Amino acid sequence: MPKPIITFQQATFGFPGVIALQDISLDILEGEYVGIIGPNGSGKTTLCRAMLGLMPPLKGTLQIFDCSCDELRCHHRARIGYLPQKGKIDQNFPITVLEAVMMGRYGALGLFRRPGKQDRQIAMDALENVGMQDHWNTPLGHLSGGQQQRVLIARALAQQPQVLLLDEPTTGIDIVTQHSVLDLIKRLHRDLGLTVLLVTHDLNMIRAHVDRLVLLKTTLFAAGPPDEVLKTDVLQQVYGKDLVVSERDQVIVRDYHHH
Amino acid sequence: MFELLSYDFMIRSLMAAALVGAVCSLIGVFVVLRGLAFIGAGTAHAAFAGVTLGYLLGVSPLGLALVFGLATAWTAGLMEEKGRMKLDVSIGILYTSTMALAILFIGLMKGYNAEVYGYLFGSVLSVTPEELNTIQLLGLVVLGVIVLFSKELYFIAFDQEMAEASGVPARRIFYLLLTLVALTVVVSLKTVGAILVFAMILIPASTAYQLTQSLMHMTIYSVVIGVLCAVGGLLLSYAWDLPSGPAIVLLAAALFFLSVVFSPKRLPRPASAGA
Repeated sequence: MPKPIITFQQATFGFPGVIALQDISLDILEGEYVGIIGPNGSGKTTLCRAMLGLMPPLKGTLQIFDCSCDELRCHHRARIGYLPQKGKIDQNFPITVLEAVMMGRYGALGLFRRPGKQDRQIAMDALENVGMQDHWNTPLGHLSGGQQQRVLIARALAQQPQVLLLDEPTTGIDIVTQHSVLDLIKRLHRDLGLTVLLVTHDLNMIRAHVDRLVLLKTTLFAAGPPDEVLKTDVLQQVYGKDLVVSERDQVIVRDYHHH
Repeated sequence: MFELLSYDFMIRSLMAAALVGAVCSLIGVFVVLRGLAFIGAGTAHAAFAGVTLGYLLGVSPLGLALVFGLATAWTAGLMEEKGRMKLDVSIGILYTSTMALAILFIGLMKGYNAEVYGYLFGSVLSVTPEELNTIQLLGLVVLGVIVLFSKELYFIAFDQEMAEASGVPARRIFYLLLTLVALTVVVSLKTVGAILVFAMILIPASTAYQLTQSLMHMTIYSVVIGVLCAVGGLLLSYAWDLPSGPAIVLLAAALFFLSVVFSPKRLPRPASAGA
């Protein structure tokens, strides 16, 4: 029986006067592949920030590994590899692929310790895991969107994390690349035994990959296997009446072209 | 030209210029990459207000310059974090208010004080042995701290939130960077002056930015360019009897424009690069 490694207990997150997530109770089990879905502004990014230890709960508790995240000085951060939303990286930033991946070692190393041969090897192994080892000396900005995603996933892997937290990894790249990135994540989940948490808007693409879906709308609206969550009556309460699930299990917006 | 080196004052000036060139161009790498150019410019003007108050009250001008510089850099950092107003507006207000203070303090002084103007426009040729000691000490502190925290400084320049999320104390490193900017400004005040110090922080790093796609190379290029411009500009100013601060800055600016024209970043990207 896998044990929970992240536990939310009636946790509420937000800023003074603004509640972003309310009364969340959720266990993430070791080795699980969980998709986090929900409309814009439903608290998906807040959930990411909370799990990264960037935001303490206003009420309730959040336990990550053996750390209760009441204050913002969490020691678990290096054990969660994080891929931020695309588009936050400055394309002209002068940095090579290996320099970017080496940054994954910095948090794990701690202050005052310089990266050595072993760290470089870890970074090269991470690049090999995502199939980018031949590009180690290429400027990051010269790579295509999909290749950059791979490099940034390698940066997360260089932390030697237990959990991979991916914020919309398939947004803004073409459909073939989307599938190859999702295949890569699936392989890392399987081969490296990583717990994967993936935030996405793409309900159809994700359903075949995950063990469980978490549907957010400020509260935790539903959680369970994809077949239980991606049902017309559940989704309509969150996304509105126009959303339906077709006979082929595709989530579609009804009669969209007539409007 | 080598007879220059037989003058003590010239050796002192060259040492001061080289050190200032190195410190400014090294901190400049992080300022340019982290996008703090305007904060730095504001800090330089605030430091000058500190100098004028020092002369007005008869206390250490560089000490007060440090106090004013730090206060401004930290306030600007807080404003960036809170982000209630657009940063260029809030820094613009800080920047002009401290300059107004400086002019006010100069107005309150009795008579004309040439030394104050030395801090405004720089007078590297009049650096005294005591001032050189101060510059050396502070300069070495800044260089040492940058080397010690270089991996964290690079990381927050690349992506501060990602750094924070990976377990780097990113916020504290950000304030450390602001502190180093203020210290660098104070170290450089006497050499290039309050108006031009920021050019020495910004220009060599921006020139290096044009020339490479690697963090390590950018850092090395920036320091080499910074030292060369500081020493070269000083020699030019001596040879042609020009004011030293402008000679140094204009030499750096000329190199920058050349680097823009010949930047490899302007060349078409390799065919492997897609959308």
